[in-house]
Amino acid sequence: MVELFVFETTKLLEQLEQLILSTEKYSCFSPTAVNDIFRIMHTVKGSASMMFYENISLIAHSMEDLFFFIRENNPQNIDCSSLYDLIFEGADFIKLEIQKIKNNDSPDGDPTTILSGIKELLGDLKGQNDAENFYAQKSNEDRQNDIAQSKEIDAKKNNHYQAVIFFEKGCEMEHMRAYAVIHSLNDIAQEMCYTPEDTDSDSSAEIIGRDGFKILFKTELSHEDIYDFLMQTPFLKSLELAALDQVEEISHPKILQNPAPVVTHQQSIISVQVDKLDKLMDLVGELVISEAMVTQHPELKNIRLHHFQKAARQLGKITSEIQDMVMSIRMVPIAATFHKMHRILRDMCKKLDKEVELKIIGQETEVDKNIIEHISDPLIHLVRNAIDHGIETPAERQAKGKPPKATVTLEAKNAGSDVVITVKDDGKGLNKEKILQRALANGLVNKSLNEMSDQEIYHLIFRPGFSTKENVTEFSGRGVGMDVVIKNIESVGGSVAIASKNEQGSTITLKLPLTLAIIEGINIKVANSRFTIPTTSIKESFRPTENDLLQDPDGNEMIMVRGQCYPILRLHQLYKIKTEATNITEGIMIMVENDSHGCCIFADELLGEQQVVVKALPAYIKRIKKIKGLAGCTLLGDGSVSLILDIGGLVKTNQLMVGGKSV
Amino acid sequence: MAKILIVDDAMFMRKALRNMLERNGFEVVDEAENGAMGVEKYKKCRPDLVTMDITMPEMTGIDALKAIKAYDPQAKVIMVSAMGQESFVKEAVLSGAKSFIVKPFKEEFIIKAFNKILAT
Repeated sequence: MVELFVFETTKLLEQLEQLILSTEKYSCFSPTAVNDIFRIMHTVKGSASMMFYENISLIAHSMEDLFFFIRENNPQNIDCSSLYDLIFEGADFIKLEIQKIKNNDSPDGDPTTILSGIKELLGDLKGQNDAENFYAQKSNEDRQNDIAQSKEIDAKKNNHYQAVIFFEKGCEMEHMRAYAVIHSLNDIAQEMCYTPEDTDSDSSAEIIGRDGFKILFKTELSHEDIYDFLMQTPFLKSLELAALDQVEEISHPKILQNPAPVVTHQQSIISVQVDKLDKLMDLVGELVISEAMVTQHPELKNIRLHHFQKAARQLGKITSEIQDMVMSIRMVPIAATFHKMHRILRDMCKKLDKEVELKIIGQETEVDKNIIEHISDPLIHLVRNAIDHGIETPAERQAKGKPPKATVTLEAKNAGSDVVITVKDDGKGLNKEKILQRALANGLVNKSLNEMSDQEIYHLIFRPGFSTKENVTEFSGRGVGMDVVIKNIESVGGSVAIASKNEQGSTITLKLPLTLAIIEGINIKVANSRFTIPTTSIKESFRPTENDLLQDPDGNEMIMVRGQCYPILRLHQLYKIKTEATNITEGIMIMVENDSHGCCIFADELLGEQQVVVKALPAYIKRIKKIKGLAGCTLLGDGSVSLILDIGGLVKTNQLMVGGKSV
Repeated sequence: MAKILIVDDAMFMRKALRNMLERNGFEVVDEAENGAMGVEKYKKCRPDLVTMDITMPEMTGIDALKAIKAYDPQAKVIMVSAMGQESFVKEAVLSGAKSFIVKPFKEEFIIKAFNKILAT
C-alpha cells in the first residue's frame, strides 16, 4: 500500500505542478484549475490520512481549504505570486516527505511555517470577502428551510415520540449524520424538533457525540416500526425511543429488494510494479538466450533437420514478438521528464531575473523507463547550466539586439535505434578561450587553443572539477554536475555532443539507446575468450597487412587506413590472454569509433552477429576489481560467456595512454 | 455475498477500500475512477451497494449519485467524504445517499454500517 500511495501521490503532485505552471503564465486561476487543485489536494489528504502521514495530510488539508474558499467565493485581487509560491512550497514539502517515505525514513518534516503561511493568506482572503458573513448567511438559509419543513403539520392523528440517538464513537461528522436522520425522518414524521438545533456547526458534532441527538416528532408509524426505522441508521450505537402518548397503530409494509444479476466488467488499464517488469525483461532475455542455445546447439551441426528448422523459425518469430512487446510495455513518453523543467525554469528565472521561455518538441517520444530515470538528472543540469551560464539578462540581450525573452528548446526524437535529445539555448554560447584557460588553470589539459578541435574543447566542460563561472550560484557553478551528466549518460550507453556558436547559443545533444537490455552485437574470439562489440560502434573490420603498420615515437602500434592513422588495441594484451594469433596478420582488425575517436581492436577471429542480452557483471567480480573496458556480459548460443566491450571506455583509455605520452 | 462497486478517483483509496471489504467477505465487483464511469458501471453490474467518493474529475460524486438514483431509485449509495465536506454531505443526503463514511475510515465501523445498510 505504501508503494501505491507514493506512486499515486507523486503522480498527483506532478499534475499539480503542471497545472500551476500552465496557469501561472496568465497569472490567474481558471475555475477548472482551482477545482482540479482542490481535488488533487483532497485526494492526497485522504490517502495520507489513511496511511497516518499526518504532516502531509495537514498540508494537503490546509491547501484544500484554501482552494475550497477560492472556488466557493471567487475572491478578487488575490496576490497571485505569493499564492503560487505557497502552493509550490506546500507541494515541495509533500514531495520531500514522499521521498523520505520512499527511503524508508519517517516523514518528520515540520509543516508549521507553511501551514501558518496558508492560514495567513486564507485569513487575508476571508477578510476581503467577508467570508464569515457568507457562511452565516448560508447556514441561516438552511435553517429556515429546516424550520419550514418541520412546520408542515399533518392533520392526521399521530403518535408523539422522543428519540435519543447515540452514534458510534469516532464515526466523525456526527452533526451531518444527525442531519441525515432528520432528512430520512422527514418522509414519515412531522412536527420535528431536535437538539442541538444547529446541525451545521462543528460544535454540535461534539455535543451529539457526547450527549446524543434528541429528536421529538410525530408520526403515523408504530413504536416498533419507528424503532426499526431508526435502528437502520448507519453508525448508530444505541437508540432510546419513548412514546409520549399512545394512539392507534398502523403497520408499514417493508419492501424487499432483489438485486439484479451482476455482470463483471474488466478494467482496461492496470498498473504494474516496475520490479515485475524488470523480472519479465530478465526472463525474456533468458528466453532469447535459450532459444539461441537450442537452435544453435552444436549437436545439431551438419544434420539436415527440415522440420526442426521450420519449428525453430516459428519459435524465433514468437520470441522476437514477445521481446518487442515487453520492450514496448517498458516504454514511457518523455513528456513527464520534460515538463519537470518548467518548474526549474520558473524558479531560476525568478531568482536570476532572467526571462526564458521553454519550448518542448517531441514530448511523445518514448524511451525505456530505466533510461528515463537516468536522464532526468542530467537534463536538469543541462537546463540549469543553459539558463545560468548561457542565457544573458534581458538588458544584456537587448543590448545585443536579441529579443529580451530567451528560449530554451528541449527536443526529443527517434533516430534508428537511438533517441536523440537536444537542449538548445539562444544565449551567448560557449567561450572557447575561457574554457581552455580554465582547463589549463585547473590542470585538466596541456595543449594550446589551435592544437584542439572545437569538440575537444567543449568536452572539457564535462571533466570533473571544471567550472568557468566565477560566482557560484545556488543553481550551478560548483563544477560538479556536468561530469555527472556525462557519467549518467554513458552509464546507459549514450553519448553527449556539444555544438556552440558565439552569441547564438549552444546545443547539447544526448544520444541514447532506445533500450538497454538487448543489443545487436558482433561476437569475436581471442583464444578461448569471447567478446561482444555493439554493432553500432563498429565501422568496419578487415585483415591488416604488414605494410599498413606504423609505430609512433613511443613505440605504440598504429595502423594506416586510407590515409588515416589509428591506434591499435590488442585485446590479448589488454586482458593478458595467451593466444597463438599474436602476429598482426594472423588475426582480424575491427575498427570502432566513439565520439569521432577511432581505434582498431585486434582479435583472433570474428564469430558472427547476433542479438545479445546485456547482463551486468556479477557483483563478486565488481567487488574484487573494476575491470576497464567492459560494459557487461552475455551468454552465447553455445552457453559460453561473452564479455561485452565498452567501446567508449576503451577508446578513451587508449587515447589517454597514447595521447598522454605523445605530448 | 454482497456485491459492491467502488467509485473513487484515487487508486489508493480504491485499493484500500477493496482490501478492507474483501477481507470482510464482500465482493467488489468493479471499480470506477470517476462519476461518469461509476454511473455506467452501476448500470452494467447492478451492485448491492456503491461507495462513492465526493470529489472526482469529470463528474462529481454528487452528480453521479443523482444519476444513479434517477436510474434506480432503490440504489444504495454510500458517500465517501472527508472532514470539512459538510455541505456536500448534506447535498448527498438530500439527493438520496444512504449514508456516508469519513476518511480516514475505521474498519469495524465501515463493515458494521455496510452490513446494516445491506440488511435494509
